[in-house]
Amino acid sequence: MTDISMHLNTDEIELWAQGLLPAARAMHLADCSLCRVEAERERKVILELVQLPKFAPRAGFADRVMAQVKVPTPSGDWTA
Amino acid sequence: MFSLLYRMVRDRALAEDLAQETFIKVLNGIKSYRPEFKFSSWIFKIANNAAIDHLRRKSIDTLSLDGAPSAETPEQMRATSLQLGDRTESPLAEVENRELGTAIERAIARLRPEYRSCILLRHVEGYSYEEIADTLELPLGTVKTYIHRARNELRGYLEDRRD
Repeated sequence: MTDISMHLNTDEIELWAQGLLPAARAMHLADCSLCRVEAERERKVILELVQLPKFAPRAGFADRVMAQVKVPTPSGDWTA
Repeated sequence: MFSLLYRMVRDRALAEDLAQETFIKVLNGIKSYRPEFKFSSWIFKIANNAAIDHLRRKSIDTLSLDGAPSAETPEQMRATSLQLGDRTESPLAEVENRELGTAIERAIARLRPEYRSCILLRHVEGYSYEEIADTLELPLGTVKTYIHRARNELRGYLEDRRD
């Protein structure tokens, strides 16, 4: 069993930042300002990362790829 | 996958070329796919290898905003640094500046490519540590170390900016 006074390790801080840390360990943050500050800093950067936008290639990308893919013909040959 | 490539090489046209190369390799080499691998992990692995190969070939891992690691004097650092604001003449460069010009994107660009792949797979693509280890063929401990170091460096860059 983990002692509640033990500082959170990096894995636990990540779990806390994602809201996944078991309550028994999360309680440590209420008493430990060191871990609280560290966890808050970690949460900020994780939040910035998970909110990053997804990018997409220009229109017609799939067509440009498929134009270069070898497709088997009914005769068993491969064509680009 | 395109987002990962784009953030790795920070050049839209190049990222598209690498994405195209990746899909062509995937589709032409589909017979070599091993089903014990997650299909998306296989694609990410090919894409990441393409990006890392490119960065090594072109030494673009010197793409650091602060200049090449080999730069020793302020002049050398200026000469080799990434000047995001210098390419306003090209509409594509303007798009890139807008898309990748935020503080967090600039901080990601400063990371070593290996850290960049790991942190993007973890927090942007939502991969578990184990999936990243499988995808990048790295020991689990190395993946954890890279991600923790990457987050630490990002925090440092972002906090410096706020000070």
